[in-house]
Amino acid sequence: MSIKFNIDRPKISDQEINKNKNFNELVEQFKQHSLKKANADKSWWKNKIIRYSTIILGITVICSVSYLSLINNQKNKRQAISTNQSIKTKNKAFIQAPSQKITIPNTKYKVNNNKNTTILHTSNTKIKIPKNSFIDKNGKDIIGDVTIEYKEMLDIGDVILSGIPMHYDSLGHSFNFESAGMFNIKGHQNNEPVFIKQNKKIEIELCSKNNEDIFNQYYLDTISKKWNYLRKDIIIKNQLSHSIQNKNEIKLNEILSQSQKLNTLKKEITIEIPQKIDSVKLVCNKSIDKLPKGQNPYIPIKSSLDKPTFKIDGSFDEFPELMAFKNILFEVGAENKNYSKEIHEVTWSNLKIKQGTIKGKNYLLELSYRNKKEKLIVYPVLNESDYKIAQIQYENQLLTYQKLLDKRLADEQRLIKEMETKQKLYLAEIKKKEAAYNAEKLKLIERYNLENQNELANNFKSLSNVNRTTRLFQISQFGIYNSDCPHANSKGIEIKPIFILNETKKSLKPDYIYLINHDNKMVYGLNALEATKLNYEPNGNYSFCIFHKNILFICSKNAFNETIDKNNCQFILQSLPKMSENIIDFKKALEI
Amino acid sequence: MNINKDFHHTNEQLNDELIIIEAAKLNPNHFAPLYEKYYKKIFNYVYQRIDCKDTSFDITSQIFLKALINLPKYQYKGVPFASWLYRIAYNEIMQEFKSKKDLQTINADISDLRYICEETNEPFFEEYLPIIKKLILELNQKDLEIIELRFFEKKGFKEIAEILEISEVNAKVRVYRIIEKLKKSISKIKV
Repeated sequence: MSIKFNIDRPKISDQEINKNKNFNELVEQFKQHSLKKANADKSWWKNKIIRYSTIILGITVICSVSYLSLINNQKNKRQAISTNQSIKTKNKAFIQAPSQKITIPNTKYKVNNNKNTTILHTSNTKIKIPKNSFIDKNGKDIIGDVTIEYKEMLDIGDVILSGIPMHYDSLGHSFNFESAGMFNIKGHQNNEPVFIKQNKKIEIELCSKNNEDIFNQYYLDTISKKWNYLRKDIIIKNQLSHSIQNKNEIKLNEILSQSQKLNTLKKEITIEIPQKIDSVKLVCNKSIDKLPKGQNPYIPIKSSLDKPTFKIDGSFDEFPELMAFKNILFEVGAENKNYSKEIHEVTWSNLKIKQGTIKGKNYLLELSYRNKKEKLIVYPVLNESDYKIAQIQYENQLLTYQKLLDKRLADEQRLIKEMETKQKLYLAEIKKKEAAYNAEKLKLIERYNLENQNELANNFKSLSNVNRTTRLFQISQFGIYNSDCPHANSKGIEIKPIFILNETKKSLKPDYIYLINHDNKMVYGLNALEATKLNYEPNGNYSFCIFHKNILFICSKNAFNETIDKNNCQFILQSLPKMSENIIDFKKALEI
Repeated sequence: MNINKDFHHTNEQLNDELIIIEAAKLNPNHFAPLYEKYYKKIFNYVYQRIDCKDTSFDITSQIFLKALINLPKYQYKGVPFASWLYRIAYNEIMQEFKSKKDLQTINADISDLRYICEETNEPFFEEYLPIIKKLILELNQKDLEIIELRFFEKKGFKEIAEILEISEVNAKVRVYRIIEKLKKSISKIKV
């Protein structure tokens, strides 16, 4: 397979790439795919074996569950006899607001079931309702308007007033919730409850006051009277600002990439001029290579007379150093242990000269005649008369060579200087273009900023919510949802509190007792009917909130500490003046 | 060689991305920021390997659809979401090459080839171009992909390893071997 190889193929412009982007189409394709998959998944039910097996299994499970619950009921009956007091407590409504005077009101919104709707609550919480989300009790689509009742509890004060229990049991351990935000959502039409259709989900982007990422999502099952874990909290805190920022970045990049001038300058700075700098270097290197190199002349060596020599006729094309002299002789080196005078007596039929052990200095002489072969290391030498001529010749050649070398060096220097001058010019050009590029970019950014002032002003509201964390809930049924972190109940000092009214100095039997832990922003709802015992951490920061006959009493943080410091268990309560019976004053009194 | 900074995210950036992914797992509409962020990059990755612009756009759409479908299976492994997307893109392109063999193209800028040359510690001369091209064309599919990712797209070895599902060491060794081959070829013509 031959693969095409393109070099410097033109790039596709950002504009063209963006033109082909279509997120809505992608989501549409995804939905179609999901639908097809769902239909395919259903088909397993058509299989007879699976169908009958499932039915048999189902019947078995129902029988087992019924049997177990029967046994449990009997156990519960036995327990009920021994704990009359707890029965009294359980008779109380599971969710009961402690005060009828200070309450969190439900906000009502009218929603048209035939349209996609986004509700923006006063706290900036968003409720996104897709069209045709509601059905009535018979499973029929709702036509017309639906009333959505929504209330949220974002701090300890709200939690107390809601009367929603914050107790959580998991695997036999008892916990209390620290809430990052809770809400109750319901829907009805003409006083008849409505339901969320299967496969439809309402999204609630709860604007939480808590920025921490330690919370989970829970749903309050009011039938089994317990919180059910749903999932880890989904925080989309910065997504809004992030997406705005991204959007702005994309838009700015678009403007920048659309500027022809900017693109040309960028191309010149990053590609064209650096390429010119490279090519100047390339040209310079090639020119230097082309300069005549010359050859260092070979030094003639005089024969040492006492050593045997060979005179060889023939050409020494391979060895130019041997071609430089006439009547060259080859002197046998002292290292040849195999040499004997008899070698000179043989008429050798074949003779070869090869490179010796020291390049340019000695040679390997190979002699052969029939089966006889000899190898000798020989040195090229000249006899007395030839040596004198060669010496004069050598000195002349050396002079010419040195002149050539000087000229070459000068030329090399000149070429390098020329190259450096040109490169400097190009570098200066890059600097100039960079300055022009930055100026042009600044101009475009300024233009962009001006154009977007209005848009930024619109985004300001969203950005101002950055300090608040948005927690995403996707609900498929109405009810109470909570973003919570369970904390194990304190195992600190145990006390049995007695509550004393400051004005009358008489003790008071509360209807509702709430212990507030200000350190981890938790509220413990205590059983007012039982002889209450509670545990607290000695270094903790606590206060009490008490309701008695619909009147609110507070034991402040200081009053709590004073009692603890005295090793006492009598907590002094202050009543909230009637004038202050509103949520704002209530929260102020709670010191939250 | 400058490594592409798109693949070097801070922990905060990775966390932001993770939040969006988790939200997108529940609702495909939340996938929008990721689509916006990576569309151009993925398209360029595809178009780098394919000669036809329209086919590249089609394949890019396919990649994002597959990403969205398989998003519930995505597990965070400490590398940016981009690596996961590139892996899908790589598999999708390979699938495409199986059915249409003439589709494959190698696209490089002179500067990319210069980077490769720099790795051999040799100055870049235009005379070397045919050798570099020949060497690249002789590579097997995986080695070719490594060279494209490393030198044409300036990716770090960690990302290359993640995309091609090989170890980081293996990716380094493969690049080293290719560079050694190139070095030998260049030294031959220099002699």
